[in-house]
Amino acid sequence: MPKIVGIDLGTTNSLVAIVEDGIPRVIPGPDGNKLVPSVIYFDEAGQVLIGNGAKEKMVEKPKNTVFSIKRFMGKGIDDVRGDLPLLPFEVSPESEHIIRLKIFGRDYTPPELSAFILRELKRNAEAALGEEIKNAVITVPAYFNDAQRQATKDAGRIAGLDVLRIVNEPTAASLAYGIDKRKQGRIAVYDFGGGTFDISILKLSEGIFEVLSTSGDTHLGGDDIDEILIRLVLDEVRKQTRNSENQEFEVSPLIPAIRKAVTKAKEDLSAAETAHIVIEPLGYKRAIDRSEFNSLIDPIIERTLKPCRQALQDASLKANEIDEVVMVGGSTRIPLVRQRVQDLFGRMPHTELNPDEVVALGAAVQADILAGGKRDMLLLDVTPLSLGIETMGGVMSKIIPRNSTIPASATEMFTTFIDAQTNVKIHVLQGERELVKDCRSLAQFDLRDIPPMSAGMPRIEVKFLIDADGILSVSAQEQRTSKYQSIEVKPTYGLTDEQVEQMILESFEYAEADIEARLVIEARNEAETVLNATMKGIADDQYPNLSEEEKTEIAAANKNLREAMRSNNHQAIREAIERLSNATMHLAEMIMNAAIAKALKDKRVREIDNE
Amino acid sequence: MDYFEVFGLPKILGIDLAALEKTFHELSRKYHPDYFSTASPSEKTQAVRMTALLNDAYRTLRHPIRRVEYLLSLYGFKPDGSKVPQALLMEVFEINEQLEEVKAGRASIEEVDSLRAQIKEKRERFDKELEKTSLDWDDLVRSGASEAVRKEHLAKLAEILSESSYIRNLERDLEQ
Repeated sequence: MPKIVGIDLGTTNSLVAIVEDGIPRVIPGPDGNKLVPSVIYFDEAGQVLIGNGAKEKMVEKPKNTVFSIKRFMGKGIDDVRGDLPLLPFEVSPESEHIIRLKIFGRDYTPPELSAFILRELKRNAEAALGEEIKNAVITVPAYFNDAQRQATKDAGRIAGLDVLRIVNEPTAASLAYGIDKRKQGRIAVYDFGGGTFDISILKLSEGIFEVLSTSGDTHLGGDDIDEILIRLVLDEVRKQTRNSENQEFEVSPLIPAIRKAVTKAKEDLSAAETAHIVIEPLGYKRAIDRSEFNSLIDPIIERTLKPCRQALQDASLKANEIDEVVMVGGSTRIPLVRQRVQDLFGRMPHTELNPDEVVALGAAVQADILAGGKRDMLLLDVTPLSLGIETMGGVMSKIIPRNSTIPASATEMFTTFIDAQTNVKIHVLQGERELVKDCRSLAQFDLRDIPPMSAGMPRIEVKFLIDADGILSVSAQEQRTSKYQSIEVKPTYGLTDEQVEQMILESFEYAEADIEARLVIEARNEAETVLNATMKGIADDQYPNLSEEEKTEIAAANKNLREAMRSNNHQAIREAIERLSNATMHLAEMIMNAAIAKALKDKRVREIDNE
Repeated sequence: MDYFEVFGLPKILGIDLAALEKTFHELSRKYHPDYFSTASPSEKTQAVRMTALLNDAYRTLRHPIRRVEYLLSLYGFKPDGSKVPQALLMEVFEINEQLEEVKAGRASIEEVDSLRAQIKEKRERFDKELEKTSLDWDDLVRSGASEAVRKEHLAKLAEILSESSYIRNLERDLEQ
């Protein structure tokens, strides 16, 4: 079994961890540091530095040193306009559906930039473990929407990693926290990081970690505290200069230096009562004490408490019914944060695990579960946002409510409005508001190749499935003909599959021939497993129950795939796999249903035996 | 496979939630995709679909109202969710008027509280009636009542459900 690493791809810092002999540990980089700052520096010659080396360039080379890229994942330019004045990056004009940063004339999307960090972590793990690492579990904020999760998965693919699972950060933290303690009861995980805030409420019983509810804000973190302090300094500097020189000056070149100084003061204030903001190039020095700091950041902390109350309400719990509170993320080092959380839940929060490391450790535990190491632990997570479709009058009709345990699915029937209509458009959204315009657009789907019939006659069953990563997929079947319909997906924010593949091609790791060969090998391997599963299916007791038409299609698709495998065309192999998978879907369903029915029957027999 | 069958239950409405959770955990341990990450793609797909079905079933059955809605849908009933309760026509009319006052910001905190209490009392009355009618359904199923009797009872359940959701919507409106 190849090793699977757990990765915490953070706004400020990223880490990679692994479970060995049942114990999770963070893998340090060659410099001995466990934290890799999520910073990427590009130089004129095309060389790239990642981590601490890049962080050192932030003040000196702000325009080509990228940080906090996580806040841009799965977003369009309109989502982040408010942040741009304080950020030194140049944004490409083609950023409506995915943000593109322009660095030395080349556009980079957030998944490509995140892939630089992932590649660095992958290299660190490979150096420490002495083998190639291809598989990873990557964590995301629980409140990330579909597009943000997909962007994270794309980043993994671009970095040459097979992302076996996307795990929510607070849930991962609970795994690390609960691993050796065999805890029972209800825990709240308060995860306040560099860029995002999450609250998750879980019920732990006999190794099952069941998330009851989750809430949060994917644009609220330590960065916002820094911004408040930056604005404070800018105001004061402006006043000073106005008095002495009586003129406005360009502020943006000063921001990186100010950011560095205020971040240091913020961190100092977690241990000391007073700290100093010192910006030497400006000749600026100012003391700030904890009470002033507290009153500045109080509105930010208040914004974290509202989701906490929402999560409690969604879990039908009162604050005093929570048995333990776990603190995660660097911003929970701030004493006022701890105080406010303690006040809300009426108990001391746990701070004994390193809040920077606990998410990565949990990701490694989840990786170990996937690798088959831990069968006694199981994570049952939820989707943070309701999924819906656009209906008449621009209203969002919810089909999977928020806080549903994932995987989750919903089935909706669609039909045509005019005779011989062969296309139906579906608009999928995420959010809690009633109107489409207030929700997040996920994608537009086109149901195509509908057999021409009178209006209202076709009955197209569309199945929406949110998988264990919290990512949506859609399949459709015309009820009268039982034909699977083809669906064309246009994600509203993010990259298409073709674009991701193009980025893999362009990434520095692979020459074009290599990637072609790799794609063919991967497709052949998958074809092999699908063919084996089909052989098993044909031998199953359920096979004779299929219609003659279905049996003929399976045989034809089987032959078609065997032929495609002989070619060197990975797309042809993929298409043949798709056809055989579709042909055997009904059979697989019948086998699964029979297995479930049998499992349930066995269970009841066992229970009777025990009586 | 319907949601009741997933849990190996007859189509009844009185469900032991502790036992339901126990079965949910057991079946999750069997079919969760986490345990199929090294399996073939089609086995993986099946694990995801099965677990989704299990989760959908658990989400529906553990919730007393969703459970009734689901049972009704299996028999072709579709409660419209906005039926004005006939027995409470006058009272509901009054509540709606007061709600308008609240929405227009003309009500005092005391008036809002009193309205809240009124709606809550009505909702609880419906909850009780729904519970009783649900348990009556279970008796009909157990005693092997005829299909005609069952259909008639389901129609009654659908009526109560529609009326109680009307009250529930009023309650939600007030909180917003």
